[in-house]
Amino acid sequence: MIASGHTHRASRTVAGLVAAGLLLTGCASPAESPTIEGPVTGGTLTYASGDAEPTCLDPHVGGNYPQALVSTQYLESLVSRDADGKIIPWLADSWTESADGLDWEFTLADGVSFTDGTPLDASAVQANIAHLQDPKTGSSTGYLALQKVTGTEAVAPNVVRLTLGEPDSALLESLSQPWLAIESKQALARSQEENCAAPVGTGPFQVKTWVKQDSITLVRNDGYSSPPADAAHSGPAYLDSIVWRFIPDSASRYAALQSGDVDVIDNAQPDTIVQTEKGDSIRHLDAPRPGASNRIELNSGRAPFNDPLVREAFIRSANVDDAVASLFQGTATRSYAALSSAESLAVPRPELFGYEPKDAGTLLDSAGWTKRDAGGYRVKDGVRLTVTFPVSTNQSIPAEQSLFEQIQATAKKTGFEVRLVPMDLSSWYTALGENNYDAVSAPYTKVGPDVLRILFHSAGIVPAPSGYFANHAQVNDPAIDALLTEAGQVTDASKRKALYTDAQNQVLEGYYILPLYDQQNHFLLGAKVTGARALPTVSTPTFYDAWLK
Amino acid sequence: MPDAAAQARSTLRALRRSVPGLILVRLVGAGFVLWMVATLTFFAVRLIPGDPAEAILGGPGSQTSPAALAAVRAEYGLDLPVFTQYLAQLGRLVTGDLGRSYALNQDVAPLLAGQLGGTLLLAVLALAVAWLLALVLATWSTRGGRFAWFLGSGLEIVSAALPHFWLATALIVLFSVWLGWLPPVSTAGPAGLVLPVLTLAVPLAGFLGQIMRESLLAALESPFVLSARARGEGERGIRWVHALRHAALPAISLSGWAFGSLISGAVVVETIFARPGLGRTLLNAVTVRDVPVVVGTVLVVALGYILMTLLTDLAQRLADPRLRTR
Repeated sequence: MIASGHTHRASRTVAGLVAAGLLLTGCASPAESPTIEGPVTGGTLTYASGDAEPTCLDPHVGGNYPQALVSTQYLESLVSRDADGKIIPWLADSWTESADGLDWEFTLADGVSFTDGTPLDASAVQANIAHLQDPKTGSSTGYLALQKVTGTEAVAPNVVRLTLGEPDSALLESLSQPWLAIESKQALARSQEENCAAPVGTGPFQVKTWVKQDSITLVRNDGYSSPPADAAHSGPAYLDSIVWRFIPDSASRYAALQSGDVDVIDNAQPDTIVQTEKGDSIRHLDAPRPGASNRIELNSGRAPFNDPLVREAFIRSANVDDAVASLFQGTATRSYAALSSAESLAVPRPELFGYEPKDAGTLLDSAGWTKRDAGGYRVKDGVRLTVTFPVSTNQSIPAEQSLFEQIQATAKKTGFEVRLVPMDLSSWYTALGENNYDAVSAPYTKVGPDVLRILFHSAGIVPAPSGYFANHAQVNDPAIDALLTEAGQVTDASKRKALYTDAQNQVLEGYYILPLYDQQNHFLLGAKVTGARALPTVSTPTFYDAWLK
Repeated sequence: MPDAAAQARSTLRALRRSVPGLILVRLVGAGFVLWMVATLTFFAVRLIPGDPAEAILGGPGSQTSPAALAAVRAEYGLDLPVFTQYLAQLGRLVTGDLGRSYALNQDVAPLLAGQLGGTLLLAVLALAVAWLLALVLATWSTRGGRFAWFLGSGLEIVSAALPHFWLATALIVLFSVWLGWLPPVSTAGPAGLVLPVLTLAVPLAGFLGQIMRESLLAALESPFVLSARARGEGERGIRWVHALRHAALPAISLSGWAFGSLISGAVVVETIFARPGLGRTLLNAVTVRDVPVVVGTVLVVALGYILMTLLTDLAQRLADPRLRTR
């Protein structure tokens, strides 16, 4: 008690002195408050990721989002994308496409070198394409993005030509992705183990050390000269270094940000985002990922969802809007499209996805699911209307898992038995490969609308030897296939848009998917961090323009 | 035959009585235990659905190509029959080779060696702090009257029941977020160790304290304490020299078990406090079906457990003269 009395008295004294001081200086506070100062060079930014630690820092190998997050700081791509969705120059200054769409020539930026001193030239780009296409590299994302590329040629030291087997309207978007970043030819010639430990690029930072299961230290590239066309400054980065840590527990991650032990965190959860929005010290960076929206895919390849009426009934019976509002507390916006809102060609169709439990009942009646069993579930020919829904606990955040439970509860009223089966990633892949699911939700990050071909073209249905496939809804419609194939080849922007619009409408009207929201990607930045932004390609943050106050 | 069995049993008993004999018996047992551990772990991980090759290549947002999968399967021998893989792994283990991690692109032995220190430091500090807390609580609550007794036993029961993940979060909220005294994640300095050590030590102190207090009470009422009192020894001497030594015995034998529980607690604690260590390595390895790392980690932990049991046996001999003379 005594101590607190002292404190009160002391703080009152201080307040009095400050007030007196203000009076004496004639209310100088506006002039004294720090005006907007220029960026400060120096300092170390600590980034805490909630994602798994990459097993290889070269995103050519495998190719997932955790790799993209960190490699954005030290690797760069041939092109980038601006906030309006337009492809802009990066390591390539300009490019031309032949009339038949089969030859592309990229002119590389002048005077750019990798951090090992080797120059960026046509042969370096050729080596990267070869590296991505070599099965020994084990590239998945980059490999698929280059499937139409059949050859490369150095036309001049600074001009590289890519030859395609068929026209690819998604080529530039594919090349903008961090999984297709350009690395030093000399560095790629090392063993995979060495290259994984410290890939060499042209980026504003370079990998200095990687203590596995602990942290990655990146230091500034003082010779940096190749910012993307939409960067805020030129020349080297402001920060001396970045320490990249992995803090899997979301509460500890947020606590570390609050205590100032880290400066930036990713995978921020709805509750913490709402909390930070009350104060003004922590900034929220909302950067939805491009490609597909997060959606529930209904397996049209087997009963009961092989019947379009049952698919529509399920969508009518799921109260998504209320659940999203309460569980995501305003941090996620409901989506009614197959594509992310980051894609300018997305076609939202809100009128198709209303919550109409009465209509759902009528639809089930007309589909022959007229009776109910003791549990209140619909039955037909003695079979219960069951929806098996494997949930990947690695890919669905807690709020999303709760959303599925809410959908389970509202669909039950109509007579659906939704069986949510939480699984880890490996088991989940297996369940999908065995076609043992009726509903599933899988994120898919990719730049551009070509993701529609991956998700809804019949070529993406099961029999791939790997067992993995992306057409989880098992859409098998020759009309949709034709639209997507043509859209993938047409480079005329307005034709392409018309084809993709048509394809999206057919998918949405076929009730193959229930869109939920954009793929959530929230970052929280401590008060000291200024100038960080998310790249409009796959929404990974870049700290090239960032500095510490 | 029964005679032979009885003969064997008595030989074993005789062996156990001498220190080198005890160590020999333990070593043979240890070999068997390690083999069983390796076998069970191998098949347990392989029985969980999921193809390691998928997990190695596939992350959220990436689609695995068949060619890449085939390359990975061939590289790691995942295309061979499971039993062949088991024998190959066992063969490597016998020669002391823990193999190569599927996911981390690194040999398992140096990987674990690098992670061992962090976990050992955590476990040893937690054990020491738990002993200290338990000793203080037990001695204070047995002499402080009824109120102290109730408070002491209440505290012990509550702390013994605290789950690590809850305690860790509570400590972070209190000491990092509200008071801002300690970092919530590991740091270069020793400050980052305080909360993880407390998280592991407090529940353990509850267990140890309960046992210590019960046996301390029993010891204080036993004839040898009575005779010491009759000899005119002071209360402090009785407590610290005679009774506590007696009371420590069950707690010492519990420390072997405690070490095991600390390692399992490390899985949670290292994940929450983002500390490098065996626990976090194990968790990551299980998620991606990284069999060599899982088997290697479990073997190292089993070995530590065996060593700890041996050490507690020896410590008991030191504390309890009866075990030596009989």
